[in-house]
Amino acid sequence: MSIAVTHRGPAAAPVPPEPAPAPVNYLNVSHTIWSWLFTVDHKRIGLLYLGSISVFFVIGGIFAALVRTNLLMPNGAFLSEDAYNRAFTAHGVMMLFFFLIPAVPGVMGNFFIPLMIGAKDLAFPKLNIASWYVFMIGATFSGWAVLVGGIDTGWTLYPPYSSRASQSNVLPGVMGVFISGFSSIMTGLNIMVTVHKMRAPGMTWGRLPLFVWSLYATSLIQLLATPVVAVTLVLLMVERAAGIGIFDPSIGGDPILFQHLFWFYSHPAVYIMILPGMGVVSEVLTCFSRKNIFGYHAVAWSSMGIAVVGFLLWAHHMFVAGISFYAALLFSLLSMLVAVPSAIKVFNWTATLYRGSITFHAPMLLSLGFLVLFTVGGLTGLFLATLGTDIHLHDTYFVVAHFHFVMVGGMVIAYMAAVHFWWPKMTGRMYSDWWSRVASVIMIVGFFLTFVPQFIMGYHGMPRRYPNYPQEFQILNVMSTAGSSVLGLGYLLPGIYLPLSLFFGKKVGANPWSATGLEWTTPSPPTVHNFEVTPIVVCGPYEYAIGVDQMGRGLPEPPGAQDDPSHRDGSTGPSGPMKKETEVVG
Amino acid sequence: MSHPTTPGATTPDDPHGIRASADNPGVLLVVFACVLGLALANIGISIQIGPTKFTLPLQLAIGSVQAGLVAYYFMHLRQGDKVVILTALSSLFWMGILFVLFMGDYMTRHLVVSS
Repeated sequence: MSIAVTHRGPAAAPVPPEPAPAPVNYLNVSHTIWSWLFTVDHKRIGLLYLGSISVFFVIGGIFAALVRTNLLMPNGAFLSEDAYNRAFTAHGVMMLFFFLIPAVPGVMGNFFIPLMIGAKDLAFPKLNIASWYVFMIGATFSGWAVLVGGIDTGWTLYPPYSSRASQSNVLPGVMGVFISGFSSIMTGLNIMVTVHKMRAPGMTWGRLPLFVWSLYATSLIQLLATPVVAVTLVLLMVERAAGIGIFDPSIGGDPILFQHLFWFYSHPAVYIMILPGMGVVSEVLTCFSRKNIFGYHAVAWSSMGIAVVGFLLWAHHMFVAGISFYAALLFSLLSMLVAVPSAIKVFNWTATLYRGSITFHAPMLLSLGFLVLFTVGGLTGLFLATLGTDIHLHDTYFVVAHFHFVMVGGMVIAYMAAVHFWWPKMTGRMYSDWWSRVASVIMIVGFFLTFVPQFIMGYHGMPRRYPNYPQEFQILNVMSTAGSSVLGLGYLLPGIYLPLSLFFGKKVGANPWSATGLEWTTPSPPTVHNFEVTPIVVCGPYEYAIGVDQMGRGLPEPPGAQDDPSHRDGSTGPSGPMKKETEVVG
Repeated sequence: MSHPTTPGATTPDDPHGIRASADNPGVLLVVFACVLGLALANIGISIQIGPTKFTLPLQLAIGSVQAGLVAYYFMHLRQGDKVVILTALSSLFWMGILFVLFMGDYMTRHLVVSS
């Protein structure tokens, strides 16, 4: 065997190593527009919802700005009475049906339910993308209706005005809401089946994150209540198009029947809006307090309690519509009943905060804002659930302030908290911490400035949906409009720094907040199938006291720990030491 | 509630043998004909009898029978396990909330509170 000897030339210059390819994740696995439009990946569908509802939020916000600007002057600044009617209706329709209802279930539910329970996807991936398309078709109908000509009935679409007298785009608007309702039903069904059937080994009902519990309760409402409003809207369309007397008293109908059927959906819809927000707050408060949630089972079951009791009190919207006194009495009592599970949540959140090792990042600031604003909104709800006071306060700005405290101060703030909390997981990038804190404070301050004056003017008798008002209300209206511009700035800032973070944000690891949920055990952004191997759950969802995630692995150092003297000795304050070793909790 | 049927082969995807125990097409056709017949009866009552005191309860009863037939035969309630049947009953209870509470309003609206 001969050995070939080769003469080497001069040493070659070292070749610089090629940069390692980025790990494959759901974002970079494919780049074509079709890969997004025909995706069945729950994470991409969540982002499709995020993009679409952001557009509807901007549209609804523009109409809100028109309404508030018009109210600067006692006789209306620039809108005619008819245009004013169309503006506040457009604001209501876009914000309620196309932003608030799909916001957290559509975006965060789609994206994080499978990640949180250790599943690869939702139970019905194709139904999931179908629900987005159905939602967009409905939004196209209603969007066209409110933008081209508008609807002047108010978002509640009460007949007989909506079925007989209104000359606006009632039919396409109602058709859009009707169609988008099917999206809501499909999303609810998908989430319910996923939670029932696709949990990872060890993920018992008692170990489900509270966000999952809240979305399960929300899905129950979506599944049961939405068909009722669908039928109601069909009846309204039939009456308007064919003149068959269902709700119009002049042709044998009953307008209060519409209100019963409409509110049988639309009051539970309030809980479709707020329950997911409560789930978000449960996740965020416990993470940034570095403490186990106080009363896990009470918080979980209070979600179900709110879902059930929420079906029993719809007629508190109709106390002065002409319903029976005895029915009003019953519904008043039932309305107060829902304060019990709501209060259970608030007290448990407060107890979670007690002696926690709190860091004030943006999600935490927003969740604390939620805690205050939702409590104020809930307590003022008791004013309206009381028969005597409701007669005075009904259809005044007090009502407007109350439901904005719950829906905007509650749901929108919680949605913002969710976006800030999970943005690093969704994108793999961290946004500006300083700007996010500033935006959070601006949002909360702007909100207070906008809606506290409305409580005062409402209590003094200013009716809602009127473009004109007595001179003495002008100062309060100016304050409210000024506050709305501050609030708008608060919403604008995340619209700037979040997209910028996609290009300039610091790359983050799997668990930037040192949180315990399964979603934080996957890379950021997650891989296409979420988990390389099916996770085995061995711990409860919030084991912050012993410092392990749901798979029993130790948590990384929490953010801000290096600045906090209480963390330097390895403790998390009063909650006890943070163990870094793996520990299995049964 | 559910009468036993001859179960087919059970698989992980079909734990109760529902899909395997194919429904008798003849039975399904008869049930479908019953549903159609009841619908025609409802229309006939509207046309022939008109709005009397008993028309609405009678028509609601016919509608309930139709819904029951659809649920029992076409929605596989007769082959459902206890959880499925419980779910169906829960949905009836939930619908009962709607009907009882707003009928409670309608039936007491004429009662005036004495001052």
